[in-house]
Amino acid sequence: MIVVRLERRVATPRWIGVAVPVASVFAALVLAGVFFVLTDRPPLTVYSEMFDAAFGDVQGVKNTLVSATPLVFTGLAAAFAMRMGLYNIGGEGQLYAGAIAAAGAALLWTADLSTPIAIAVVFVAGAVGGMAWMLVPALARALLGTSEIVTTLMMVLVADVVLDYLISGSTSYWRDPLTIGFPQGKEIPDAAQFTRWFDARITVALPIAIVTAAIVWFVRNRTSFGYGQDVIGDAPHAARYAGISERRTVLVTLLVSGALAGMAGAAEIGGRIYKLEPSSLRLGLGFTGIVIAALARSNALGVLVAAFFLGGLRNAGQSVQAVADLDLPKSVALMLEGFILLCFLGGQVFSTHRLRIVRREPARRARASAGASS
Amino acid sequence: MNDNAWIIAIAASIGAAIPIALAAVGAILHERSGVLNLGVEGMMLIGAMAAFLAADAWGNVWLALVCGVLAGGALGLLHGVITISLRANQIVTGLALVIFGTGLAKFLGEPVNGLKRPVKIDPLEVAGLGDLPILGPVLFAQDVLVYASIALVVAVSLYIYRSRAGLALRAVGESPAAADAQGIAVSRVRYVHVLAGGLLAGAGGAYQALARAPSWNQEYTINGLGWIALTLVVFSNWRPGRALIGAVVFGFALRSQFTFQTEGIDFPPQVWLQMAPYLLTILVLIVTSSPGARRRLGAPAALGVPYSRDER
Repeated sequence: MIVVRLERRVATPRWIGVAVPVASVFAALVLAGVFFVLTDRPPLTVYSEMFDAAFGDVQGVKNTLVSATPLVFTGLAAAFAMRMGLYNIGGEGQLYAGAIAAAGAALLWTADLSTPIAIAVVFVAGAVGGMAWMLVPALARALLGTSEIVTTLMMVLVADVVLDYLISGSTSYWRDPLTIGFPQGKEIPDAAQFTRWFDARITVALPIAIVTAAIVWFVRNRTSFGYGQDVIGDAPHAARYAGISERRTVLVTLLVSGALAGMAGAAEIGGRIYKLEPSSLRLGLGFTGIVIAALARSNALGVLVAAFFLGGLRNAGQSVQAVADLDLPKSVALMLEGFILLCFLGGQVFSTHRLRIVRREPARRARASAGASS
Repeated sequence: MNDNAWIIAIAASIGAAIPIALAAVGAILHERSGVLNLGVEGMMLIGAMAAFLAADAWGNVWLALVCGVLAGGALGLLHGVITISLRANQIVTGLALVIFGTGLAKFLGEPVNGLKRPVKIDPLEVAGLGDLPILGPVLFAQDVLVYASIALVVAVSLYIYRSRAGLALRAVGESPAAADAQGIAVSRVRYVHVLAGGLLAGAGGAYQALARAPSWNQEYTINGLGWIALTLVVFSNWRPGRALIGAVVFGFALRSQFTFQTEGIDFPPQVWLQMAPYLLTILVLIVTSSPGARRRLGAPAALGVPYSRDER
């Protein structure tokens, strides 16, 4: 009898680190290709059009950077918690809360402010909003040990309701009283609308995202707080003996994670939407952030790379709709994103394990099956 | 106040409860085996989309239902392969499945977006009892899937608590290593129940598309039902009977807004009614987080932890 089993690699060869992600993406493109063939679209044409749209020329790269900017923040939010084994699933909700706070603060205070201060107000408000949305899950996790996975997810659903309520369910401060018919958000003052650079929607949010990633990397890898996170994540008992306060570290980590996701909302309000607009905010940026953190293995600098890649995919999905003879819907990006993620997640195991085909002999069946775990 | 409006609202909330109840019971089986299922929303969307496409192509409502169930099952199986055999992180994989399911459903559903539902599951009257006051419309004028779902909940409860296989399932969810030592095939048990979770989520999605939504709408046909089902799983402490009751309560909370509106009642305000299920679930989680309460009520102990013999 022949059995296929997974075996832990003793040593991981260097080429594996490149080969596994590349093979995962390749497998995803082949699998997704089946669906393109089924719907009468030549897969190679689709892929080359999408690649051109995302990375093919200067304008494409600019648009990719625009799409990637909020993803850097949501990716960092998830990664900051994930490194110590905490799962902030609620980045989406913290993003909405950050957007609500950023838009509110911009409307209230920034009309007479100079641009740099207005930018600071928008980002600080976004961070505070995201942090506030994380407060209950973070306190419950730190003090009572309540799993943050479900509570943060529930807060996404609550934020979703609040978002609709503020614009279409009430006459709130955020809603524009002058619009007739379909309710809309009030536009924030000019000072709070980030200047566009390079003939694109690239704004100050992009450098802020990159600097934030560098700061997160520094905190994770070069400070005693980051070291404490590692110890708690890997060996909670050792952390207790070393006098690292798990409560405090968990609380701070989750609150910072919420603040980072809130900054994504601020970047969207100040850099792209300029008003609280539920449909423009609901892009799944928060959920994609979790996947970005996984792709980047929670490394802050890896988040930049993964966000650029997935930003490119989203941008390609937008642009490729314009290619008339392919007749592709916008959802093509989401579908490809799904295929790539699943292949990547499934492929991860091959960087630590290898497949071995063993011939199982009858006499040793008992022992051999004891070793086969799947 | 018009009594009739309330009877209609209660009858309708039972219908509204079925898709979430089916998906929630599936997720309970799925998670009782120790595999966290955050992908319900994606499985429901795929199920709904497959059912609608099949209905559009062949015009047979039962064939369409089967297609929806199988499509959900396929996604469940995929979840199993990635998390059980390939041992990937269950949380991230679940979210990836939502992205995958949403993307694929929207991609394949694009040609029929906005199309009216070609066939539907009709309500049936049980031996003329539908004319009874109050009880008639609430209990005896639903469609066959409502009755089947209630029967299913009873069957799943009996299965989990009163059968040998159910005992094995609970053992695997609480302590896979101990179950393994007892000779229970952990991976097989997990695969079977992950598949069941997918099939039932697909059924919930298909029911939504074939019996409740009048047309296929990319954004609104499922929109959030999977997340509500997940809420129910936690809210019910992984118990099928409670999940069904919870589904009717949630269904009523979702549905009664319209009745409150038409009856001119402004209390409780809509926004609170909409948030209530989620806030209550958070409250339930916080209240049950003491170690003692968690042991009696809480999630399967091994939920979210991949199992492999050689890396215990």
